[in-house]
Amino acid sequence: MKNFAKNFVKRKEFGIILIVVILSVILTFLSSAFLTVTNIMDFMKSNSVYGIMAFGMLPVLISAGIDLSVSATIALSAVVIGKFMLAFPNSNPVIVILVAMIVGAVVGVVNGLIITKFNIPPIVTTLGVMTIVNGAVLLGTGGAWISGLPQWWVSFGSFKLFGIIPTQLFMLIFAGLVTWLILKFTLVGRGIYAVGGSQSSAVRVGYNVNRILIFIYAFCGMMAGLGAAAHISIVGQVDPNTYTGYELDVISTVVLGGASVMGGTGTVFGTTLGVILMAVLKNGLILARIPNYWQKVVMGLVIIIAVSVDVINRKREQAKLVRVDVEE
Amino acid sequence: MKEKFLEISNVSKTFPGVKALDNVKFDIVPGEVHALVGENGAGKSTLIKILSGFQQPDLGAKIVIEGKETKLNGVMDAIRQGISVVYQDFSLFGNLTVAENIGINEIIEKNRPVLKWKEINEKAVKALAIVGAEIDPKEIVENLSVAKQQMVAIASAVAQDAKMIILDEPTSALSRNEVETLYDIIDNLKKKNIAIMFVSHKMEELFHVSDRFTIFRDGQYVDTVNAKDVTEDDLVSMMVGRKVEIKSYANLENKGPVALKVEGLSKKGNFKDINFELHEGEVIGITGLVGAGRSEMAQAIFGINPPDAGKVYVQGKEVHIKSPSQALQHGIAYIPESRQTQGLVLPKTIESNITLPVLKKYRNKIGLIDRKTQRASVDKWVDMLDVRPNDPDMLAMQLSGGNQQKVVLAKWISTEAKILIVDEPTNGVDVGAKAEIHQIIRKLASEGTAVIVISSELPEILSVSDRILVMRKGRIAGEFLNKDLTQEMIMSKAVV
Repeated sequence: MKNFAKNFVKRKEFGIILIVVILSVILTFLSSAFLTVTNIMDFMKSNSVYGIMAFGMLPVLISAGIDLSVSATIALSAVVIGKFMLAFPNSNPVIVILVAMIVGAVVGVVNGLIITKFNIPPIVTTLGVMTIVNGAVLLGTGGAWISGLPQWWVSFGSFKLFGIIPTQLFMLIFAGLVTWLILKFTLVGRGIYAVGGSQSSAVRVGYNVNRILIFIYAFCGMMAGLGAAAHISIVGQVDPNTYTGYELDVISTVVLGGASVMGGTGTVFGTTLGVILMAVLKNGLILARIPNYWQKVVMGLVIIIAVSVDVINRKREQAKLVRVDVEE
Repeated sequence: MKEKFLEISNVSKTFPGVKALDNVKFDIVPGEVHALVGENGAGKSTLIKILSGFQQPDLGAKIVIEGKETKLNGVMDAIRQGISVVYQDFSLFGNLTVAENIGINEIIEKNRPVLKWKEINEKAVKALAIVGAEIDPKEIVENLSVAKQQMVAIASAVAQDAKMIILDEPTSALSRNEVETLYDIIDNLKKKNIAIMFVSHKMEELFHVSDRFTIFRDGQYVDTVNAKDVTEDDLVSMMVGRKVEIKSYANLENKGPVALKVEGLSKKGNFKDINFELHEGEVIGITGLVGAGRSEMAQAIFGINPPDAGKVYVQGKEVHIKSPSQALQHGIAYIPESRQTQGLVLPKTIESNITLPVLKKYRNKIGLIDRKTQRASVDKWVDMLDVRPNDPDMLAMQLSGGNQQKVVLAKWISTEAKILIVDEPTNGVDVGAKAEIHQIIRKLASEGTAVIVISSELPEILSVSDRILVMRKGRIAGEFLNKDLTQEMIMSKAVV
């Protein structure tokens, strides 16, 4: 148990927990509204969309890739389910969510196919796909909002279990759970870590790397689709322009949660903490009445500080490493 | 004689423009160590790629495994038929645990989408036991020493139920002690009736472990011989097609003034109390076991790994070097051990690699690079070092190991350093190129450069140096003039 505690302190996640705790203590003193169940549920609900998408982005970063197209994917999924609900007013939430996830997965498969078949780097591929999909969304909607969604959808979105836990938090937990199961207990999940560790070695031990990559991007797209469903269920209408820049928040969340953009590392636990940290931070900035524009500056600083602390720690560890067993 | 595990014949492999393998054959019996030898470019790696299922041979090749003619369709297929490769770089996943690295193939092979961690761990423990390695299966691989990583790689081949394991240059990163451990592991595997194809450049090891040799030269089969029927010289001349003599260059006179003096240099956990003087025109060889602190010490002088205590004098003046650029300003150049990752920009041309550290020199009046003078001096270096092909526009990655090493040498020589430190200059370089690199080093010394050569290969140290320092556990344990020395005398200082 002592060992466990010691190892835990050494883990990356410990730093994030520490920041969350310190931040929460400060916020509790600053505002009596912070540490209340309603407030916590509220800010988790409004951040669930980034969270869901972050779980999708996690495998991408572990594989040493990146997916910039998630902001376009969520927009497309949102528009499709918006129109779907207007066309089929007698449908139900489960079908709508499935449609959203399928639309996202299709975009992801396209990403994966381009990356694997034409060997184009993920950053370029997903940048291109993002632009195309964004264009398609505007062509399809003319930039106009979609509103007047069915009543069953609105009540689904505002439902709270025991009057406390919102629907969107369940979606977030579902996304985290599925990602955890895949990464920890499936062949493809371990393959994702292998690809991120060394792609050439992954080929040599017999992993089907192309299939793994396609899966990763399909999964990321699918989670962006689920994110669309979560978002539309919160706001009750579709604004195709609102998702610009989402990809950066999502990637930041995952990086904040300890995943390395160099690939190979990252856990669902860490990403969960990243999501919580982002949510606490945003809420705290609002409660502390920091002006809107300054909030962005602070968020950026936090990301840079969090990542540098990690890098500096690792460097320090390396410097301490005894390289030669010196005879004293 | 036991039944052969593998027999191949008529194996050719043509790439656009080159015939990498031309009608070669090879066979191996269970429990045998059969070494494949040849210079770089002889076709050894191509054959490994074919046997591992990574590449397909040209039509007409015959591959027989356990008496049945077969084909090796892909990596998984080769593994399934009992052939596993331990690559030079081990092909491990540094970010994953030992257990997962060992168990992974089995998981992939069974293609069960859901994992059972308990099974994986048990498999790993068993394989590690067969290899005889004491390693915690839960450890993350990148935290292990190179030697232990290799054991993990071998254990993972064992876990695949390999009947034949190909060891590709298995000792290039190992110290002498670790090589001994590897010999034990190979013995264990032989007892389990596993056939081992051993690929190496190092004569000593080849003769120590092998039962038979098969020699390739320029993609062609030369001969297969019993190890006890040939001498080292025979083997070398079969590999090279000519006799190569190992020349001793030691020159104990004509030393210039002191170029570099080191006093009490120490760094915690790296090295302690290092003292020596290096003269202009002199070559000092520094040897010792890997992990004795040799590279750490050299990197301290070069500013990569600054020391905690001690003094360094260059041309009699005390200097405080905290970074490589300061070292270069003082005329010290360091050529690192792994040329592919630390020494060369592989996708760039010979020209841009050589002139990288000295681009400033070629600036014209308005600060742009003058291509003409740049090319002229590159031509000079390529010529002097006999880089083949001698086309400065070739990409570094298209060159053989020996020629890459020459480009790295040229790159640092072009800085006109007065003090040159070369770390394992001929690691992975074939016999012919080795002799040429030794010549280059001596030529520089004869022009007044002070040179430190760090090497684990005693024949190399004995050939190239005037004076030899032996390091052990971070200290200098012995110093010799290179006169009437034997390998044994040096080793007695290197080991406790």
